[in-house]
Amino acid sequence: MALAQRIGRSRHRLILLVLTAISLLTLDLNGFGPLGTAQGFVRDVLHPVTEVAGVAASPFSNAWNGVFNYADLERENQELDARVKKLEADEIRNQADRQALERLLLASELPYVENLETKVATVVRGAVGNFDSDVITIDLGHRDGLESGMAVVTGAGLVGRVDRVDATTATVQLISDSSLIIGVRLVATDEVGLGHADDDAFLIDQGLDWPEDGDVSKLPPVGTGVVTSSFSRYPAGIPVGWVTSAATDDGGLSLEVRVELANSVDDLGFVSVILSSGVDQVPLADTVVPNTIVPPGIDPDDIFTDGTSTESGDGG
Amino acid sequence: MIPLKLATVGIVAVVIQLTLFVEVRVAGVAPELLAMLGVLLAFYAGVERGPILAFGAGLLWDIYLPTPLGVAAITFAIVAFSVASLEEGLFHDSRSQLAVIVGLGSVASVVGYALIGEVVGQRGLIDLEMLRVAAIVGVINGALTPLLAPVVRWALVEGRQ
Repeated sequence: MALAQRIGRSRHRLILLVLTAISLLTLDLNGFGPLGTAQGFVRDVLHPVTEVAGVAASPFSNAWNGVFNYADLERENQELDARVKKLEADEIRNQADRQALERLLLASELPYVENLETKVATVVRGAVGNFDSDVITIDLGHRDGLESGMAVVTGAGLVGRVDRVDATTATVQLISDSSLIIGVRLVATDEVGLGHADDDAFLIDQGLDWPEDGDVSKLPPVGTGVVTSSFSRYPAGIPVGWVTSAATDDGGLSLEVRVELANSVDDLGFVSVILSSGVDQVPLADTVVPNTIVPPGIDPDDIFTDGTSTESGDGG
Repeated sequence: MIPLKLATVGIVAVVIQLTLFVEVRVAGVAPELLAMLGVLLAFYAGVERGPILAFGAGLLWDIYLPTPLGVAAITFAIVAFSVASLEEGLFHDSRSQLAVIVGLGSVASVVGYALIGEVVGQRGLIDLEMLRVAAIVGVINGALTPLLAPVVRWALVEGRQ
């Protein structure tokens, strides 16, 4: 009897806890400022502790990885070796491609990424849980001028976007996260579309049309560079990858372009944050976004609202 | 004193999770220390205090997770309530039983977290990979129970015991 009474009372408490959690969820989902500030404060307070603990734990982590991940390291080493050889063989062709790309960017009056202010960040840690493998934490925060939405790159190209910003750290949503939608442009054909990660590749599945006359020679050639578009929320011209295939899966109505990512985000040590958000480069909605440029299937209102990018969704 | 000890245990668990278990993983899966803490708190603190303490542990973990604040908290509280209710009505304390309870509770926490996360709009949480992660977390957490259980018992006892 006493047990039943205790469980009964506890049930009421559990209901209160659930209601509290739902309230917190609602506030957090609606971007309630003080809640985010409080969370950031806790993370900032604990950051020095985690840094020290991380150094203390690193010998054990290294030993663990040395013992249990030796086969992975060996395989990774072989892959890197093969990749270096391939890169050496492709260097001459890459130089020519790079010059062509630079000329094209210049002709399009798009800014070079190199001309934008960047800050180098160290990757503090990778995924902390079991369901956030596409998130890393870097050692820069809003004290360093970071803001949510800024592009994160390496020398090879786009890595992701700054997500949650604290005082001294920030989390980065990696390009490998399928929920991160990125506005891209095919360098060869100048078409723009929206893409996202799809398994190990990147898939552009919105905004591109299959050639009306079915002429496959008009498809983007394999190897075409893919960069961020000026209509994305990131600075234009950041390399994303190379086209590996182009196909249609709806009888020729739309085009799906599969892209090999320029960056491997598996083992990042350092990244650069571009201290400029793409939306700053986008002219006001009433002066641009001509219908001829907006890809079919994309509502301009989804991209711009009063001259700024919408915050809904996960990118663009 | 007990709240201070509980807070210390919670923070230490988070710090270990954020440092050691970012690198040390089994088949790519990290132990879920905070879920384990929630289950143990429910087991030792009982059905009245257990869910509240587990809620606190979940809230602390939520601060670092990409899901909205409250997803882990609500999951851990519900799992803790279930564990505490079952423990009071059915089980008797023994080490092996405790490890099994922690393992099953951790599996429930991982699955519940994924389900509630999907409900609030996080994509890609529910798939076969989630079941694999839950199973491995259950095994690891069960195996780690003898290490964390004495710490939780210590935190819940008044004075220097």
